[in-house]
Amino acid sequence: MITIFLTFLKIGFLGFGGGYAMLSLIFQESETLGMTVQQFADLNALDGLIPGPIAINSATYLGQLYGGFWTALAATAAVCVPSLVFVPLYMHFEQRINDNWFLTAILDGIKPASAGLILAVALSLMLLTVFGINGLGAWRSAHLDWSSLLVLGVVFFLDAKYHVNPVWLILLAGVIGAVVYYL
Amino acid sequence: MHKNWILFKVYLTAGTFTFSGGMAMLPMIERQLVNQYHLIDRDTLYEYTTLSQTFPGVIALTNACFLGKKINGTKGMIAAGIGAILPAFVLMLAATIAYQLIPQKGVIISIMAAIRAASAAFLFSAAYSLARYNLRDAASILLALACFLLTVFNLASAPTLIVAAAVVGILLSVTKRRAAKA
Repeated sequence: MITIFLTFLKIGFLGFGGGYAMLSLIFQESETLGMTVQQFADLNALDGLIPGPIAINSATYLGQLYGGFWTALAATAAVCVPSLVFVPLYMHFEQRINDNWFLTAILDGIKPASAGLILAVALSLMLLTVFGINGLGAWRSAHLDWSSLLVLGVVFFLDAKYHVNPVWLILLAGVIGAVVYYL
Repeated sequence: MHKNWILFKVYLTAGTFTFSGGMAMLPMIERQLVNQYHLIDRDTLYEYTTLSQTFPGVIALTNACFLGKKINGTKGMIAAGIGAILPAFVLMLAATIAYQLIPQKGVIISIMAAIRAASAAFLFSAAYSLARYNLRDAASILLALACFLLTVFNLASAPTLIVAAAVVGILLSVTKRRAAKA
């Protein structure tokens, strides 16, 4: 529980630039906590179904999986700490740090970085779901799963191009999965 | 109605009806805090919203804390903050418990496999939109590419890369400011 609390404290303070920047941190940290790539993929799907910030949803999910209610609460509280620290601090010193160019500068570096980081996470999930392997190192044992590739392509297209509500896309994926099973 | 109660209620409803967090809840907040309850003016709301996106942490929560504190001090900050995170916590807790109860066999394995593929697709889509809005010059493209490759080949961890990217951002900005002055 203390490990999870500290992990999410770290994620919160490094989590500049929104949910997806944090998600790549969560992906790596959750691996060290013993979470599988499957469980991470399920977390991301649940995040599409449940309203709320990605970081809060992830903290609750990991906490609940690894220690139950109180760990979930501790993880969620940890990820909230940065807001509760920086907001009063900023309000207190507002007049003196009106020129916050360095915050914008940090963000200018982190936004492009998070695009690359989240693409790497996406690739990991694709290797697992479409090729059945954990990481590029295992490429010899890769085998192509056509139905997963189809789902991935269709969902990406509908999400990136038409911004279809993720709830419908997850339902659609579920239906395809069921149909493939009975074929 | 008491200010704290209004703040709690506004952020609670906004948090319940906005998916994927972030500032998707802004229009709802604006309608209620500015138009309905007149607790804050529109310009201040937007100023703090922009500001909250530059701080580390959960953006929606930072936003709630800023406006809560502005409107009614520390008590307002706590009321708005709890309102902003409570729906996500409660709903995700219920969803995770339900998820743990799902038996992993038969057709469910096949359904879950397809949903995981969809999950991968969401991340590709997120990477695509992040890239589209943030990769504007050679420096940012190089930075994104470096982060991608270093992660894929396990050469650097995500926290290291984020700190490095922040340093690069500051250095680039300092260079630009120098160039502008010269």
